[in-house]
Amino acid sequence: MACLSTSGRRGLYVVVGTRNQLTQKQLGQLFWQQKIGRSFSSSAAVAAALLGKTTANNISTLLPQRNFHGVGVVMQRNTAITAGQDYFANLHTNTACNSSSSTTTTTTAPTTINSSNINNNNNKSSNSTIITAQNCRQYSSVHTQQPAGPVREIQIDPYIILDDDLKYFYDDVRDLLRQGTSQTELDKIASYYFDGQGKALRPMVTMLMARAINYHLNKESSNLLHKQRFIALFSEMVHSASLVHDDVIDQSDIRRGKPSVNALWNHKKVTMAGDYILSIASIMIARLKSDDVTIVLSQILTDLVQGEFMQLGSKETENERFAHYLTKTYRKTASLIANALKATAVIAEADENIAELAFQYGRNVGLAFQLVDDMLDFVSTAETMGKPTAADLKLGLATAPVLFACEKYPELNPMIMRRFSEPGDVERAFELVHKSHGLEQTRFLAKKHCIEAIRLAQELTESPYQKGLQVVADLVINRLK
Amino acid sequence: MWKRVATETGSIWITKGKYQLRLRSFTPAATFTFPQQPSIRTSTSTSAAKPTPPKHDWNRAVSEAERIVGYPTSFLSLRWLLSDEIANVALHLRKLVGSNHPLLKTAKHLLYNGKNTMQAWGLIVLLISKAAGHAPSVPDMEQDKSAGVLHSQRALAEVTEMIRISHLVHNSLVNLQPSSEAGKDTATYEDMAFGNKIGLLTGDYLLGHSSAELANLRNQEVVELISSAVRDFSESQFVGERDEQNNPLPYKPGTEPPKTNGTATTESIDFDVNDVMIPMNISKVLGNPEKEWECRNILNAGSLLGKACQGALKLAGQSEDMQRQAYLFGKHLSLAWQACLDAEPFQSATLPIDTTFSLVSAPVLYHLEYDPSLYEEIEKGQVSVENIDYAKIHKAISAGPGLEKTKVLQRKHTTAAMEVLEKFPPTDARTALENIILAMQDL
Repeated sequence: MACLSTSGRRGLYVVVGTRNQLTQKQLGQLFWQQKIGRSFSSSAAVAAALLGKTTANNISTLLPQRNFHGVGVVMQRNTAITAGQDYFANLHTNTACNSSSSTTTTTTAPTTINSSNINNNNNKSSNSTIITAQNCRQYSSVHTQQPAGPVREIQIDPYIILDDDLKYFYDDVRDLLRQGTSQTELDKIASYYFDGQGKALRPMVTMLMARAINYHLNKESSNLLHKQRFIALFSEMVHSASLVHDDVIDQSDIRRGKPSVNALWNHKKVTMAGDYILSIASIMIARLKSDDVTIVLSQILTDLVQGEFMQLGSKETENERFAHYLTKTYRKTASLIANALKATAVIAEADENIAELAFQYGRNVGLAFQLVDDMLDFVSTAETMGKPTAADLKLGLATAPVLFACEKYPELNPMIMRRFSEPGDVERAFELVHKSHGLEQTRFLAKKHCIEAIRLAQELTESPYQKGLQVVADLVINRLK
Repeated sequence: MWKRVATETGSIWITKGKYQLRLRSFTPAATFTFPQQPSIRTSTSTSAAKPTPPKHDWNRAVSEAERIVGYPTSFLSLRWLLSDEIANVALHLRKLVGSNHPLLKTAKHLLYNGKNTMQAWGLIVLLISKAAGHAPSVPDMEQDKSAGVLHSQRALAEVTEMIRISHLVHNSLVNLQPSSEAGKDTATYEDMAFGNKIGLLTGDYLLGHSSAELANLRNQEVVELISSAVRDFSESQFVGERDEQNNPLPYKPGTEPPKTNGTATTESIDFDVNDVMIPMNISKVLGNPEKEWECRNILNAGSLLGKACQGALKLAGQSEDMQRQAYLFGKHLSLAWQACLDAEPFQSATLPIDTTFSLVSAPVLYHLEYDPSLYEEIEKGQVSVENIDYAKIHKAISAGPGLEKTKVLQRKHTTAAMEVLEKFPPTDARTALENIILAMQDL
C-alpha cells in the first residue's frame, strides 16, 4: 500500500507552498540577508514554508489522507533545505492529525531563520516554520520515518535541487501565453491550469535529466540549460493542452480540486484554447532552432492522439487487451516524458546511446507513473486526488488493476466488453478489483519499471541530479496523488 | 472533374464510399440547428443554377492549374487510407449518422462542397511555389522535376490543408455547458457528447500529424510561421460577441470600441513582420465594418493561406521580399474569396428556407453602418443566433447598399492579389493563378 514515506512527496507540498510568489520573494530576501550564496549553476539553497493561503489548503488535503491510510504518526515536513551540494535538511514532525497548529520544530543547523517573523508579516498563523541551512559537504541527509519500503539513507528532494529551474516555471508559461494573444478570455482559459497547483512532474523529470546529462557530458553551460528549460516548458504545456481537451471529451466537472475548464467556459472556446497552447508551445520550440529536437517533440503529439484513439476501442482477447493497454499507456503518458527527456539529450548533442538512455528512463518512469495513477484511482480518495475516483471505470476504461483482476474473476470480461455500461457494473468491478490481487500486481509491474529506470539512471555519471533521477523513480511508486 | 480535384485531402472519404453514401442519404436537407461559419455552409445550388455560363470557368481553371503542379497533394489520401485512426474515425462517425451533430455537416461540406470551401488551398500553395521557382542552391534531390515544386513545398501544401480541416472540425463541436440549451437537451446529449469526442480527436489527429510533417521539413522558421497560423485560428474564435454556440455577433453600432493601445485606427492592420508571436491587435478596428471584417477573416483564413504561401517560398530559399509578396497574395486571395462567399446569400432576392448566413459577413456589417437599427433584430441572437429572423435581415440588407459594397470589397482584394502576381515572372503557374482569380470573380 502506498505509504507516507518519501521525503519527495512532502517536498511536493513544500514546493506547492512556495509557489506563492510573495512568499518566494520574501524567502529569497531572507536568504540574501543571511548571506547564503545562491548561484544559477549550483543549485541554490531553498527554504520552503507553508505560508499564507496555502497553509489551510495543504492541511485540509493532508488530513483525509491520514485518516484514509490509517497511519498513526504522520510526518509533515514543513521545511526543507538544500544548498546545492551543501545540503542539509531539517524536518519537523507533526504527530497530531487534527491539531495542525501544533507543529513541533527542531533546529540543528547553525543558520536558522525562524519564520515567525514571516508569519507575523503574513498572517497570524501559529504554524511555525523553520528554515535551515548548513554547509556540510553532503548531498543529502533527510531522514524520514518509513513505515514501509526499503530504507533509503540518502535522500534528495528533486523539487528542491531544481528550485532554480522550477521556481518561476508557471509564471514563465503564463507570460508566454499572455504574449501570444490579444484576447483576454483566450489567455484566461489557456493559463487556467498553469496555476502552480499541479505536480509539475514532467518538467521536474525533464530538468533533472537535462542537468544529469549536462553533468555527464561535462557541458554545464547556462545557455544550454536555458534551452533545455524550454523543453521542460513544452512538456508541461502539451500536458496541459491535453488536459484541456480531455476535459471536453470526458465532461468531468472537477480537476485538481477546482472546477474544470469545461464547466466554466464554452466548450468550443475551450477546444480552441487547447489548440492555442499547442501552437504557442510549438512556436517556442521552433525558436530553439534545432531540427532534431522539433522532430523528437512532434512525436509526442502524434502519440498522444493515437493513444486517445486507442482508448476509444477495446480488444477482444485478454492477451491482446493487456498489450493494447500498455501501448495506450505508453502513447498517452510515457511518450511525453520519454521524448522530452530524449530532446534534452539531443539538444545537448549527446550521442545516440545517451539519448536512448534518456528516452528509456522516461518511458519506464512514465509507464510506472500511469500504472500507479490507475491504481490510485481505486484506492485513493477524491479529496486527495482532486478529482473523482473510480473515474476510469465510470468512463468505461479497463485499466491494469481490472485487467489483472479479471484473471481471477472472469465475470469481469463481459463488463469490460460493454465498458461497464450497465447499472451496478462499476460498483461490482470496483469490489472485485479490491478482492483480487489486481492492485498489488499493478504495483509490482510499476515497481519493475521503476527498478529499470533506476538502473538506467545509474549509468550516468554520479551527480546530485543523477541521484535525483533515482529518487524520482521511488517517488513515482510511493506517491499518494 | 471538379470533384476529383476539389476533394484532394478528402478523397479518403470518397474512397470509403460505403460510408459516404450513408452519410449523405441519412441526413437529408438537414436543418441548421447549429449554424456554422458561412465558409462551410453556403449551398452549392445557387452557383449551379446560374443562367448564363460564366466567362471564366472555375472548374476548368482549377483542373488546368492542377495539371501544372502535377498530382494535387502527394499521397496524402493513400496514407490516410492506410491509417488506423482515420478508419477508426470513419467507424465512429457512422454511429453519429442520424444525430444532429454539426460535425456531420462539416464532413459533408468538406467532401461535396469543395468549390465553396476553397478546398484548393493546397493547390494555391503549390502554384505560388511553382510561380516563384526556387533558388539554384536547392539540391536536385529535393526537387520534383516534372512538377517544378519541391517535395518540401508539397508537404507544406498538405499541412496547410490538414490544419484548415482540423480547424473546421474543431469548430463544429457543440457547446454542452450545462447552462446552454444544447447542454440541457438530455435527449440528444449523449449523441452530442460522442460527436464532440470524435470531432475533437479528429482535429487533434490532424494537428498532431501536421506538426510531425512540419518538423520533418527541417526548417524552424516555417514551423514557427505555420504554428502562428494555428494560433490565429484559435484567436479568431474569441473575437467580439458570441452566442451560446460561439457563433459570432457583430459589434454593436454606436458603442465605443474598447481601446487598448491608443485610438481606433483606420489604417489596415496586419501581423508584425518581425515577430510572429505578436498577435493581431484586433480591438483597434472593432466597429469599423471594413477593417473589422478584414481582421476577422485574416485570423480566420487569410493568416494560414498567406503564411503557407510565405513558408513555401521560404523553403525554396527565396528573398524576404518575395516571401512577403507571397504572404500578401495568400492573404488578399483568401479575403477576396471570403467576400465572394459573403455576397452569395444576397445574390438572390429571397433567402431560401432554412438557410442562414454569418452575422459578421461583409454585407451585414456594411448594412449595420448604413442603418444601425438592424442591430435590434441581431440582438435577439445573443443567446442563440437561431432566434434571429434571417429572412427579415436578408430583406433589409437586400434593400441597402451592403451587397454593392461587398462587391467593391471583393474587387479591392482581387486587384491587390493580381498586383502581387505581376511581381512574379510570367509562367504557366502564374497564369493558372490569374485564371483562378478571374473565375472566382465571376462566381
